[in-house]
Amino acid sequence: MKGADYVLKRLAFAVLTVFIAVTINFALFRLAPGSAVTNLARVPHATPETRLALKRQFGLDKSRFQQYVIYLQQLAHGNLGISFANSQPVTDNLRTALINSLPMVFLGTLFAIVFGTLTGIISAWRRGTTVEGVTVTTALGFYSMPTHWLGLMLVILFAGVLPTGGMSNEFLINPSFWTHVKDLGEHILLPALTLGLVLFGEYTLIVRSAMLETLGEDYVLTARAKGLRPAAILRRHALRNALLPITTLVALSLGYIVAGAILIETVFSWPGIGRAVYDAVLQRDYPMLQGAFLVLTVSVVLCNLIADLLYFRLDPRITE
Amino acid sequence: MRKWTAVLAAAILAAALAGYATKASGSGSSAKAGGTFRLGTSSRIDSLNPYVAFNQDAYNTFEYVYPFLIQYDKTNGAFAADFATSWHSSNGGKTWTFKTRSGAKWSDGQPLTAKDAAWTISTDIKYAAGGAANAAGLVAHIKSASAPTANTLVVRYAQAPGNVLGQFQQLAILPQHIWSKHLGNKGTNLKTFSNNPLVGAGPFKLTKFKKDNIALFQRNDSFYGEKPKVDAFGLQMFSNEDALVAALKSHQIDAVEAVPATAIKTLKGSFNVRSVPGVDQTDLIINSNPKKTAHRELLNLKVKAAMAHAVDRAQIIRVVFLGYARPGSSIIPPATGAWHNPAVKPEGFDLALANKLLDQAGFKKGSDGIRRASGHKMAYDVITPTDVPSTNRTFQILQPAFKKIGIQLRQRALDSTAAFDAISSPDSKYLKFDLAMWDWVALIDPDFMLSVTTCAQFGGWSDSGFCDKRYDSMYSQQQLTPNQAKRKALVWKMQRYLQAKRPYVWLAAQNAVWAVSKNWGGLVASPQGPFNSINKLSLTRVHQQ
Repeated sequence: MKGADYVLKRLAFAVLTVFIAVTINFALFRLAPGSAVTNLARVPHATPETRLALKRQFGLDKSRFQQYVIYLQQLAHGNLGISFANSQPVTDNLRTALINSLPMVFLGTLFAIVFGTLTGIISAWRRGTTVEGVTVTTALGFYSMPTHWLGLMLVILFAGVLPTGGMSNEFLINPSFWTHVKDLGEHILLPALTLGLVLFGEYTLIVRSAMLETLGEDYVLTARAKGLRPAAILRRHALRNALLPITTLVALSLGYIVAGAILIETVFSWPGIGRAVYDAVLQRDYPMLQGAFLVLTVSVVLCNLIADLLYFRLDPRITE
Repeated sequence: MRKWTAVLAAAILAAALAGYATKASGSGSSAKAGGTFRLGTSSRIDSLNPYVAFNQDAYNTFEYVYPFLIQYDKTNGAFAADFATSWHSSNGGKTWTFKTRSGAKWSDGQPLTAKDAAWTISTDIKYAAGGAANAAGLVAHIKSASAPTANTLVVRYAQAPGNVLGQFQQLAILPQHIWSKHLGNKGTNLKTFSNNPLVGAGPFKLTKFKKDNIALFQRNDSFYGEKPKVDAFGLQMFSNEDALVAALKSHQIDAVEAVPATAIKTLKGSFNVRSVPGVDQTDLIINSNPKKTAHRELLNLKVKAAMAHAVDRAQIIRVVFLGYARPGSSIIPPATGAWHNPAVKPEGFDLALANKLLDQAGFKKGSDGIRRASGHKMAYDVITPTDVPSTNRTFQILQPAFKKIGIQLRQRALDSTAAFDAISSPDSKYLKFDLAMWDWVALIDPDFMLSVTTCAQFGGWSDSGFCDKRYDSMYSQQQLTPNQAKRKALVWKMQRYLQAKRPYVWLAAQNAVWAVSKNWGGLVASPQGPFNSINKLSLTRVHQQ
């Protein structure tokens, strides 16, 4: 029963979080000065009627409360609305942007998880040695690098070797399957590497810190005293107990995948969700912003929920 | 560890192969007869729907995929045939008759006739306050449009206008058989139509469009006018100018539509770099609303004149635009040709004269060196939009110069939506702001630029709060003066008037600069760059050398 209670509570908390986030998002974007009409009405030869027509079209002539009720009603029907900026369904805009972003961000995050965890463990295990010095310095270096700067450096370094912009070479005429795959691989390498390197630093430092904590515990000392092999101590006793913060970090990272990577997408001209959100902010495209942040909220909450449920499995103390 | 070494080696090998493959595909695609011209831009096509589009590259696209009645000629100074081959006015300039091409076709094979033009104009009039609001200004004063024959378009005006051809040069003719299905919701559906795939009738057909990524255009062999020399051209959209320039240098693309000033030096020699006077001008805006409540000393013409003399345009051009600009002087830039009044000269940089003017106006300096006006310091916020990066460095030049004449400036950087909101607040009354900086991109016909300083543009295009009945009267007069010589005299007079009243101090008119691979030639120069909405010539004539 305790387990069922735990799961139910977590679920209820997740639903409540999404609802609160939806409400805050609705209010937050409207607090910013200016409106979508400000920008969109400023086209050559637009008339005062243009502004009125746009306001009516977007429902901005209604009160904030009415707008909120309409938004919730639409949301209940799974309708995210129509983008102010390009008059297309927000769902379509988000789908396209997400499909573009996900492979690149996932690849970068995966790189960081694999290499960051590995170097974090090694640096903790080899504490006080040159290995630790090198890994920590490298991790700190990448962690403190501004993402766009690192991206630009890679652009300069690899210009002429790898493509510096876009997702694929759209000028290839009837490429074969493998040519196309290779082309996609070339384009994804630099942006995914940029993201991976920055996240790699963060992972190394957090995993190292979690590992150092568990390696100092009495049960590790006991295991050593018992004469267990170092690999067994590391895997069975230290790493398993360090998994809790690592799980949280991985869950959060995966949750944020749908947010894309604004700076990286800008540097590498990657038409993903990060750029879409940035543009929506500039254009005060409320439906697009609400839709994007809803997807982000649901994704983060869902991944956290999964982490919570994994805790349930990883940490017996929760059921006690 | 050995496994990781192997992975790393594989990655390096893949990277090396990737470089080879990229180069190979680049040269391979242009080796075909006609070839594909690959143009890079840091702007983008925001929508394929003319009733929704906002960005200039969208309008440039429409120029190449849709028929227009007329276009500008190679000199950008005179009108030339497009879908209409001849035109004349009658009934005192109230009726305009256009003879259009025969045998023209839309890209889906349907006939293109004058009826499509009449339908487009009639639809724009009917839904001007709704779905077709984007085009409302282009059909102002039109009573009706009809097509008595398949090759004759007749447009009737309520009053004889002065800028008929200038307006029609900007109006894309849409296929009635496609767009008439999207008139629902009282015309609102005109805006929600994605228009992809796009049925057009220009020299090119849009064959692929990925938002914020790529637009591919194929030659339209059934085009009624001059046929393109290339098989296709593509517009690749970059969100980072350094990556755009790097792509040109590594031959991933063949040309850059607008080269950032900082990259010009590095491209010269290896690429053909063209620089011509442009239509993009930066300005210092002085709130000129006569109803302004605070800091009313800014309405004093001597204060405005002093500010104009405290602007070191030579330094702005040298530092901000690295020499690729000219001093600004008038709301109508010189690149528009005969519409620019050459007698309107930029004010000389003369701090002594500026100080003298402020002394004469009675604003004495305090012990801190800042002048006082009606008991308060002459210290003002300057609103700058973050999406016009040149404003930052320009402000850094203005600030110390203004301090020397006893005026303190503080920068207030906002994104463009918030900046316009701050300028026009409260409720589009322009009462609160003092100074701002921005830029204007002029069209060839002066009507639009002259309209932004009319009272009618409060809440619309006005960013200066300027409202002057005498000016408005001149504006209406030029709109209704069919005789172009008389209209030009009026336009020149209005420029002098605006310089005297100074809602703007014009800073610099930026050059249009583009770079092209030496393997390509034929692009036609224009103040809007090689990809423009002035005419269909540039990409029709581009060819491999």
